[in-house]
Amino acid sequence: MEQELRDTCKRLLEEGAVDVIIGYGQSMPDGPVCPVFIKKAEDVGRLVWNRQCFGNLATYLTRKEIKALGKPAIVVKGCDERAVVVLEQESQIDRASVYVIGMACEGVGDPPASKCGYCDVHMPRFADAVIGEVANEPVSQDGRYAELDAFMKKTPEERFAYWTNELSRCVKCYACREVCPMCYCNRCIVDKNRPAVIDTSSTPMANFAWNMARAFHQAGRCVGCGECARVCPAGINLRLLNDSLAKAAEEGFGYRAGMDKDTPPVIGSYALQDEEEFIQ
Amino acid sequence: MSEIISREALLRAVDEWLKQGVPVLGPSRINDAFVAYAPLASSDALALDGYIHPRNSIKEAVFPKHEKIYAYHIKGSGVELEDPERSVAKQIVLAARPCDAAALPILDHVFNWDFKDAFYNARRAATTVVTLACTEHDAQCFCTSVGLGPAAENGSDAMLLPLGDGTFEVRCFTDKGRELFAGKTESSGQAAKVPAGPPERLDVGPITEFLKDSFDNPIWNELTLRCLGCGACAYECPTCHCFDIVDEGNAAGGYRAKNWDSCQFEMFTMHASGHNPRARQAQRQRQRVMHKFSIYPQKFGEVLCTGCGNCTRNCPVSLGILNTLMDLAAHLDTTGAK
Repeated sequence: MEQELRDTCKRLLEEGAVDVIIGYGQSMPDGPVCPVFIKKAEDVGRLVWNRQCFGNLATYLTRKEIKALGKPAIVVKGCDERAVVVLEQESQIDRASVYVIGMACEGVGDPPASKCGYCDVHMPRFADAVIGEVANEPVSQDGRYAELDAFMKKTPEERFAYWTNELSRCVKCYACREVCPMCYCNRCIVDKNRPAVIDTSSTPMANFAWNMARAFHQAGRCVGCGECARVCPAGINLRLLNDSLAKAAEEGFGYRAGMDKDTPPVIGSYALQDEEEFIQ
Repeated sequence: MSEIISREALLRAVDEWLKQGVPVLGPSRINDAFVAYAPLASSDALALDGYIHPRNSIKEAVFPKHEKIYAYHIKGSGVELEDPERSVAKQIVLAARPCDAAALPILDHVFNWDFKDAFYNARRAATTVVTLACTEHDAQCFCTSVGLGPAAENGSDAMLLPLGDGTFEVRCFTDKGRELFAGKTESSGQAAKVPAGPPERLDVGPITEFLKDSFDNPIWNELTLRCLGCGACAYECPTCHCFDIVDEGNAAGGYRAKNWDSCQFEMFTMHASGHNPRARQAQRQRQRVMHKFSIYPQKFGEVLCTGCGNCTRNCPVSLGILNTLMDLAAHLDTTGAK
């Protein structure tokens, strides 16, 4: 697959179909896998594909430094591809101006990341080119939210104690925000300081305020790539928060973000016949 | 002759200190995959092996992520100011990595240069630092490239060196260290062998030279393109020390506080006018490297880095000081640039 990926990228660059490949490579010969940006056909040998390709590269599609490089081809796993779909739905990218290379993915991490245990998008579905083959097996809703459901069996007091303890370690580095393809605001609410909306201090209250604000902004938008939890330098399982809102969107509206680009986003659409009064 | 302490005696000492009301900060297993320095509730929480480096640093002990400077209360047309409690109680940092402890003498310079930071100095004076010498390293460790090593003594009041049989040789370097371990160790003929540590990964000298004249070098754009602009590197770095001053509160009162800040944030240099002198992420990454290997050494004579590798370990895209320096070194080799 790695060779096929390199060949595909070489062709795209040689033909001038794209200006840059956003893919995975290595930081040092013996170093960890990291994002790389390949601009010349002769450099495609730097691209790698293996179980350490964790990052969701879709976060780069809305960044000015990357946009300045020209038309991109982006390497995505099925879970990452959902983020590309949401970015298109939210008019953040012109899909025709992005070449999507989907990788058939049997899971990342060794042992596999927990999200891979209930993945139903091993095979990308909307990519311009797909490399490799693996079947998408349906996963039940219960399977998808098993970790959240187990957590929700605790009492509200226990859950509050859990989050108080976990969020006390938050240092507000905002790694969760920066890796997240859905966090593309030009100015994040926590950076608004005239007047300040959320205190920047790492106090228990302000740590709650920040993490809850981010979670709510992800409602019906989080694609469950789990990057926020993977990169958190304080080891906080932020995916539990996002899963909670994803489950609400699925239960209440039958909606899963990024699964189908023709389904109107649950937050970004409304119907006049909505039974809630506030909409009328 | 050396002084040694068994693991059991060390754990008993921890519980004794805690019982005396002395807070002990030490490596603790937060979950299966995660060790961080944290206040210990008991010696059970202390993790002495099974990890290379805790995910954070010990700087929290002397430079908390959030510290109130004063509180204010608005009463009618007047304002009352209130000083926070300044007397910092004695605290122990236990089993710190030597690369974390080595950051403290470096930080002393910046917190005592033109202005003496009473908050930092009070905590620093009240803190006894006991390091645990390293027996292992990973691909991110590069202490030996910045003049340190697995048993570097800088910043340590005392050091524990594993003897391999569950006991530790105890070396005390300061009165604080001697006082802490007085009566707790036994004399022995055993002496710990200091392991070699990570191989030297690069020569910092030529890079420091290059940095003096690289401000507008396009290399920064290439090397830092993947940077996402979070503060994980700075916040988990033992030497990064930038902070912001904020006022928080409401119409009735509030406080002024000193909070960690990072040069990697767009807001760090944002002017009130809306102009930002470091508008691009490459400029912010350049600043981080320059501060550590050019600006700080020029001002204080030593690099602002202990080679702990925490920047790389914590970076979502594995962009740390080590690989940036190695890329710069490779660039110097290829281009012959000065």
